[in-house]
Amino acid sequence: MSRDKLWWYLALPQLLLDEQLSLQSEIQRQQPQVLCRSDGQRARTVVQANTAARHAGVKLGMAEVTASTLVPELQQRTYDEQREEQVLQRLAQWLHQDIAQIALYPPQGLLLEVDDLQRLYGDYAGVQRQLARRLARVAVGYQIAAGYSPLVARILAQVPQLSFEPMRAAKSELLEKLRQVPLRFALLPAAQQQQLENVGIQCLGDLLQLPVGELGARFGRAMVAYVAELQGELLPPQRYYRPPLKFSERLDLMTEVASWQQLLFPLRRLLQQLEAFLQSRQLSVVRFTLLAHHRDQSQTPVRIAFALPLWRQREMQQLVQLQLERQQLATPALELSLRADAFQAREVTATSWLPAQQDATAQRAEQQQLQALLGKLQARLGTAAVQQAQAQNDWRPEAAQQWQTDLQTAKAPSQGLPRPLWLLPEPEAIAVHEWQLQWGPERIQTGWWDGEGVLRDYFIAVDALDRQGWIFRSHEEWYLHGWFS
Amino acid sequence: MAGSAEKSLPDWRPIALNCVSNYSFLYGAAHPHEYVERALTLGYQAIAITDECSVAGVVRAYVAQKDVAASLQLLIGSFFQVEQLGVLIVLARNRQGYGQLCRLISRGRERCKKGSYQVSADDFLSGLDDCLLLWRPLNDLAFSAYHQALGEAFPQRLWLAFSRHFCVDDASQYRRYNNYHQQSRLPVVAADEVLYPEPGRQPLHDVVTAIRLRQRVTEVRTQLRPNAEHYLRDAAQLQRSYPQDWLAATRQIAQQCSFQLSELSYEYPAELVPEGLTATAYLRQLAYAGAKERFPNGLRSDVQAKLEKELALIAELRYEYFFLTIHDIVQFAQQRDILYQGRGSAANSVVCYCLQITAVNPDQIDVLFERFISKERDEPPDIDVDFEHQRREEVIQYIYQKYGRKRAALAATVIRYRLRSAFRDVGKVLGFSEQELAHYLRQIDRRDQDTPWQQQLVQLQSGLATTERGRWLVSLTEQLLKFPRHLSQHVGGFVIAAGELADLVPVEHASMADRTVIQWDKDDLETLKLIKVDVLALGMLSALQKMLQLVRKHYQRPLDLAGIPTEDAKVYAMLQRADSVGVFQIESRAQMSMLPRLRPATFYDLVVQIAIVRPGPIQGDMVHPYLRRRAGEEAVTYPSEAVRQVTERTLGVPIFQEQVIKLAMVAAGFSGGEADQLRRAMANWRSTGELQQFETKLISGMRERGYSLDFAQRIYQQICGFGEYGFPESHSASFANLAYASAWFKYHYPAAFYCALLNSLPMGFYSAEQLLQDARRHHLTVLPVDIQTSTWAHQLVAMQNGYAIRLGLRLIKGLAAQHVDALLARRPQQGFASLQELRQLGASPALLQRLAAADALHKVSGHRFQSQWQALAVKAEQLPLFSTIDDTGSDRATLQQLPTPTEVSDIAADYRSLGASTRRHPLALLRERRLLRGVRTATELAGCRHQQVVCVVGLVTCRQRPGTAGGVTFITLEDETGMVNVVVWQATARAQRELYLTAQLLKVYGKVEIHGDVIHVIAGRLEDGAPLLAELELQANRSRDFH
Repeated sequence: MSRDKLWWYLALPQLLLDEQLSLQSEIQRQQPQVLCRSDGQRARTVVQANTAARHAGVKLGMAEVTASTLVPELQQRTYDEQREEQVLQRLAQWLHQDIAQIALYPPQGLLLEVDDLQRLYGDYAGVQRQLARRLARVAVGYQIAAGYSPLVARILAQVPQLSFEPMRAAKSELLEKLRQVPLRFALLPAAQQQQLENVGIQCLGDLLQLPVGELGARFGRAMVAYVAELQGELLPPQRYYRPPLKFSERLDLMTEVASWQQLLFPLRRLLQQLEAFLQSRQLSVVRFTLLAHHRDQSQTPVRIAFALPLWRQREMQQLVQLQLERQQLATPALELSLRADAFQAREVTATSWLPAQQDATAQRAEQQQLQALLGKLQARLGTAAVQQAQAQNDWRPEAAQQWQTDLQTAKAPSQGLPRPLWLLPEPEAIAVHEWQLQWGPERIQTGWWDGEGVLRDYFIAVDALDRQGWIFRSHEEWYLHGWFS
Repeated sequence: MAGSAEKSLPDWRPIALNCVSNYSFLYGAAHPHEYVERALTLGYQAIAITDECSVAGVVRAYVAQKDVAASLQLLIGSFFQVEQLGVLIVLARNRQGYGQLCRLISRGRERCKKGSYQVSADDFLSGLDDCLLLWRPLNDLAFSAYHQALGEAFPQRLWLAFSRHFCVDDASQYRRYNNYHQQSRLPVVAADEVLYPEPGRQPLHDVVTAIRLRQRVTEVRTQLRPNAEHYLRDAAQLQRSYPQDWLAATRQIAQQCSFQLSELSYEYPAELVPEGLTATAYLRQLAYAGAKERFPNGLRSDVQAKLEKELALIAELRYEYFFLTIHDIVQFAQQRDILYQGRGSAANSVVCYCLQITAVNPDQIDVLFERFISKERDEPPDIDVDFEHQRREEVIQYIYQKYGRKRAALAATVIRYRLRSAFRDVGKVLGFSEQELAHYLRQIDRRDQDTPWQQQLVQLQSGLATTERGRWLVSLTEQLLKFPRHLSQHVGGFVIAAGELADLVPVEHASMADRTVIQWDKDDLETLKLIKVDVLALGMLSALQKMLQLVRKHYQRPLDLAGIPTEDAKVYAMLQRADSVGVFQIESRAQMSMLPRLRPATFYDLVVQIAIVRPGPIQGDMVHPYLRRRAGEEAVTYPSEAVRQVTERTLGVPIFQEQVIKLAMVAAGFSGGEADQLRRAMANWRSTGELQQFETKLISGMRERGYSLDFAQRIYQQICGFGEYGFPESHSASFANLAYASAWFKYHYPAAFYCALLNSLPMGFYSAEQLLQDARRHHLTVLPVDIQTSTWAHQLVAMQNGYAIRLGLRLIKGLAAQHVDALLARRPQQGFASLQELRQLGASPALLQRLAAADALHKVSGHRFQSQWQALAVKAEQLPLFSTIDDTGSDRATLQQLPTPTEVSDIAADYRSLGASTRRHPLALLRERRLLRGVRTATELAGCRHQQVVCVVGLVTCRQRPGTAGGVTFITLEDETGMVNVVVWQATARAQRELYLTAQLLKVYGKVEIHGDVIHVIAGRLEDGAPLLAELELQANRSRDFH
């Protein structure tokens, strides 16, 4: 190493809880609360606790039972490592604005390479100020430490008393700190830590005194690498964070444009770019946002959504055109931009609601036509106007049929019960003497769980005009609920 | 077929042929007895309890029905879901048919793992000649494929079971059954599928269905029944629903079924009686032979009279085989030198004493044979036999071997929904999250008996009651409580039959491999007067066996349990000092604080001591009166002559269960039958709450006879307290035997005592560490684990001044006996020379590391750090033969770099690896370092003034909040000199909750309370000892937390 590289490590011991707290009101935040986790057979233990819980005596590693006996009003939630990792991703994205080289150490740590930044910010203190500003915005608690190797930074950042200023310390100084670190912060596997304790090793200084060869013979190569990294002789490569996929393009219109119709032509360019973007990644899109930028006013967004995933400029253009027909542009626009950040992998989506027939290609072609039609209908009439009947699993007729706008996920229709084709939106009161009962009763008494329980005796009956209807009796009143023909 | 009310059948009463109870787990939504009760109200002629491949619920129905058998017939059957066939309902016509049904169920269960079954059409085509079959064909295909075969297998005994519950397919089903009838001429019968007694149960049925399907109610909506029609309908409703001749068919079926559960009688294994002798004669012969041994000086005439009386009664009730069976089992145990002891009411019997089943000399206590067997009570005797816990399996295997798996099986235990499980299961299917449910459950304090849980919940979580879902949660939980959830196995209750057990009751697999279990539990067996033999496990018997062996081996004293000298004053003196750690039954904290107050000086005192520290006498406030009377501080008086007779031997204070029952008879005028009901209610009042009904009768009965209200209420309270936990005198006497024997060893052969206890762990109240501390306080030397001299077990080693205990390798965590034994078998005479040798002789690297961690290698390779360093260098794949001397050489070079462990780190490592240490007590170290100035030791407390303010420090070894102690927590602190009992009042505990819940080392400022030899410290202020420990860098995690 000609030049000492420097890493910073951000330890975020309460990341998930901090995130949850940041969404709470001030009063809520003052309530003692913890996150708990159960490790296999063992009882659930506290893994994160807020200040109020700590003040009340809750400690990390305490059994949940003990903690809630200690603080009866304690709110406890289950720790979710995946969710914490998502929060970490978002935090990395947030910091990525300032720092290019960030490596994720899920679920609770970020490694930052800051060498190049000090030029930008003048010195490390400047970098640190910028970092502190960013982190303050997201209200997350952290400990930070510097190290001449990623491992050293990681270890030092976990040791509460050892976090120190300034962030740029000489290697010898850091090494001296490192020697005092107790073994439990060494980031070694639990079994190895125990084995080392069994030979009387209490801190990293003890470990560094042992001959590396002897250590290797007993603990394997990983231990040799570990010691080398502790001493800065080995710097394992890091996988740096890359921000997620986004499409964002902006177009200068040159002149002021007064209506959406006039924007259709320039839009074509943007959609072509989008098609290229999607094509190269084998993706498709179901929604994006168009923004008209004005001279003085803030921008006007128009959200575009398709019934089905698309990627061809021509198809997108058609549907956007239909959707824009109903839009007014209040002020003239100077620029137009398109932003998309939700994509889908392309796949032949087999929709289940078409009857199985013909050969596969013909079927697919028909399906595509139908999809296109539906897409156009929705575009023209508005999303809510085109809905698909969806069979629900319920004995109650009105709960058994629901309408929904998501045309992709229709499930199988209900089983072959003798149900009228046409169900009235609301049952209509009738005079039963005008009807002649044909068959019944079918008694439906269910739904106690949602407060809409029913008790009805259904009959098939014909009215004076010989029309076959579905009528029922409930609390001695009679109603018509549907027609069979 | 819409509700066509035809002319009704003459004096036709409804018959339900397919009632499914909650013994079809998570399928039926009613207790079996509820069907009986509802059917009686509705004037039913008969009902059939037909659970799914089970008759587990029929006895419960029978209990409700047997007294009203004249008005309601009970049919016994079971239904089966058969692939490709549909549902088959089998009904037993007579005793043979019942046996056939049981065998069918057993076959179906045998093929599957616990809890499920599998049957196919073949199972029904033969072997059910005395059964009737009702069939709901799956579909037309099933009908045409099987109607002929089934019709031939059940000539005139097969019906098509049609049910109509106002569903959408009623009409098409009706046509279907009509067609079937026309095709085959098979009769159709109206057979409602009854899932609950009344329509109001529908939500509960929906909920159990969802629980069974493991989904939320809203996710399984169409799998629920569309309406609430699966209840017991009245005659008019049935007549409207079914054609007349289909209803009439139900009567033909009921008439053909004559079987009653009362016909079942138990036939004992016959092989126990030698040829040429009757069972009666043989039992008499054995009893008198035994009497000669038990009473070498001859049988006293009153004892002989008792013996004769018992023999006569046994003969009259025909229980000889029962006694012979148990005699046979204990004979086996004797031959194998397995210690055992009969307990329970059997200890009231001279016959049991003579047959060597029990060890309570009828001379020692006033035995009450009627409690054991009585003609009036007419129920099978209860003989429980405890065996050494480590060897009980041998006894069980003997039973299986002797009688065969077809003739012996365990009784079932019905696992029922309790508050927590019901609340969680109902909550989950109603869509509450686990977290919400856990939160609600935490609000419920089950110790609070004044406020029902529902009320507690509503008070603390008012939001819950304002939502529909919350109200359903509470009410459905209430309904689900006590529903059977599944069958488990009884701890040791065997049922042994003369022929095949499956002829009597279905047998199924238990969750434990190689165990089979019948479908009835002990209450069912009792109802049907079937006998079970309880083969139980008791740790103290293992320990006593080992004590006997050690004394015989090391002290050359031939000794057996019966030969232990009785009434040794020195032993009682030790107990009076509360020096009872490790002594059976009287080692708990509560027993220990009673010992110096009760000051037992005779065997009978021990019997009382054991029975008095129980919830019964404590709740009945009988403890203090007894102690005052015993100490002569209160005159011994009796409210009446009758009470005097019952309570004279306990100074007028009722202590034992049978005294309380006797009092109900003599003082409250209970009849024998009522007293017996009371006894049964006591046995399971917590689960049924049926005791309350006796309260008024008992108190008014006693008031009428001139007893004070106070006395009457105390007796009632005591009855409530006895409920689950009361001891009858004979039981207490059996336990007192073992308590005395273990105390005798503790006093005379302490080394053998501790060594045997340690080798029998886990058992009893104390951990190895606590036993070792106690041993060392009794000046025994305890030697550390050492690979050169230790064996797997702890052992006695001769020292200059007696025996010391050499700890065994079994104490080391994570070791397997067979690996260690294999290694020790190859241990050279002069010991292992090096780690290499250990490795060559088969010690794995992992084993070596564990041994090193426990410091067991100190004589081979130096202190634990050095040994560990070397052990780590031993590789699994390294071929031992080629390992060179270089290794040791280089090790030696590096060894110099490893520092010797400090005493503190050695102690910490000992606890980590062994859970105990033979080094100094941590408190001794603290004291040595002058960290405990002004702190009293446990032994110094005795020299303090009453009410003196003191400070004590100790490791927390026990925290207890007994239900009987009214919010007080007892904390036991241990220092190097002994234990300190700390009492923490609720207010103090609340104020310092954190410390009192979590501290491992505790500093307590408080006042000493001295009453005679009983010393407590009443805590005023608690302080965390952690900073002290931190100074020692010692983490001790040895606390027994709340039980």
